[in-house]
Amino acid sequence: MATISLAVAASHTPGLTGWFDKAPESDRDTVQRAYDAIHDEVAAADLDALLIIGNDHVANTRVSEPWDFSFGLTDRHPGPDEWFKPWLRVADYDLRGAPEIAKTLFESVRECGPNVRGVRENLRFDDNVSVPVTMAGLTSLDVPIIPILQNCTVPPVPDERVCYDFGKALGRAIVEDLPADARIGLLGSGGLSHEPGGPRYLEIDEKFDRWYMDLLVQGDHDRILAEATFERMEEAGSGGTAELLSWTVVMGAIGPRPCTDLGYVAVDQWRCGVGAVRWDV
Amino acid sequence: MPLDRFNPLLKTNDLVQDLKWDLEFRARFESDENDVLDEYPLSDAERQAIRDRDFRGLHEMGLHPYLLSQLARLIYGTGEKAGTSGAATALIRSLLGDDYDAYMAERSG
Repeated sequence: MATISLAVAASHTPGLTGWFDKAPESDRDTVQRAYDAIHDEVAAADLDALLIIGNDHVANTRVSEPWDFSFGLTDRHPGPDEWFKPWLRVADYDLRGAPEIAKTLFESVRECGPNVRGVRENLRFDDNVSVPVTMAGLTSLDVPIIPILQNCTVPPVPDERVCYDFGKALGRAIVEDLPADARIGLLGSGGLSHEPGGPRYLEIDEKFDRWYMDLLVQGDHDRILAEATFERMEEAGSGGTAELLSWTVVMGAIGPRPCTDLGYVAVDQWRCGVGAVRWDV
Repeated sequence: MPLDRFNPLLKTNDLVQDLKWDLEFRARFESDENDVLDEYPLSDAERQAIRDRDFRGLHEMGLHPYLLSQLARLIYGTGEKAGTSGAATALIRSLLGDDYDAYMAERSG
């Protein structure tokens, strides 16, 4: 059986790379430490592939085309997409892929319920991949990356239970269908509360964020699914907070267990709650 | 709730997608916005709302909120300025209308 050797999640708000220095020093330190911890975990895990599961900010499909999850099947993943470069201000990257592993996982989960597709052209990446890759220094580690871009915001959105079940199918596929010695990491990318394009665009729901982080630390997945619903995420910030459904996929893949809170900050200038966690796997 | 008005068939959704994906088209929009709007298969109401920078109107017509924020960046620029970006400010001002000044005063108080 292959193993899930790493499971983490972190926010990817573009302010972290585009205007990091607008935050107070203590908040910057907290976020940098969190991402440094992720870097160290990835470096130590000796991974055959790191799956980055993150919201697709309508960068790869028309909003009239229904889809839920997209597997990046290519052998390279360049980015960021041209239009996002002035926004994100990250160095261009060209990530190594893991096409054989990606194909196996895609084939294993494509019929598991939601609309799952495998993409054989380069996906367009914005902050979903670019921010964690840059903040965690993943380019220097040269770990193979498999992006799984997810619909968190174009109705009908696959809700928390669909995402958790997709995660369970993914976790089963990793353990049962990959080579026995494969070591796989999971990174949920997105959240915390924010409302891009809405009247609360400048706001962060810190109370929700801290409540959500506490729930994850406790590790009761039944309770998380019952209380941290898609609707509750929408109330905390419509169109953005539901990126936490990518964290839900990771939880489904690894099953119920507690996690360590790597840090949380609410910085108005970043327009998004920023937090990170590491699960015990 | 910003998603409650979303209409996937509203053509401005596709316009924003095309502007993001096509560098030449985007350059034409920056230099000849009126021509691009006239050529693209939008309703007259959509064209007028874009010309008026009426983000609230576009939201009510069904533009997805992500694409609404991206349209604001396409128009006002994507670089972040001091405090908050011109794009975000213009968007919030439009969405909140007459409530904008009170909202910002409350936030800064």
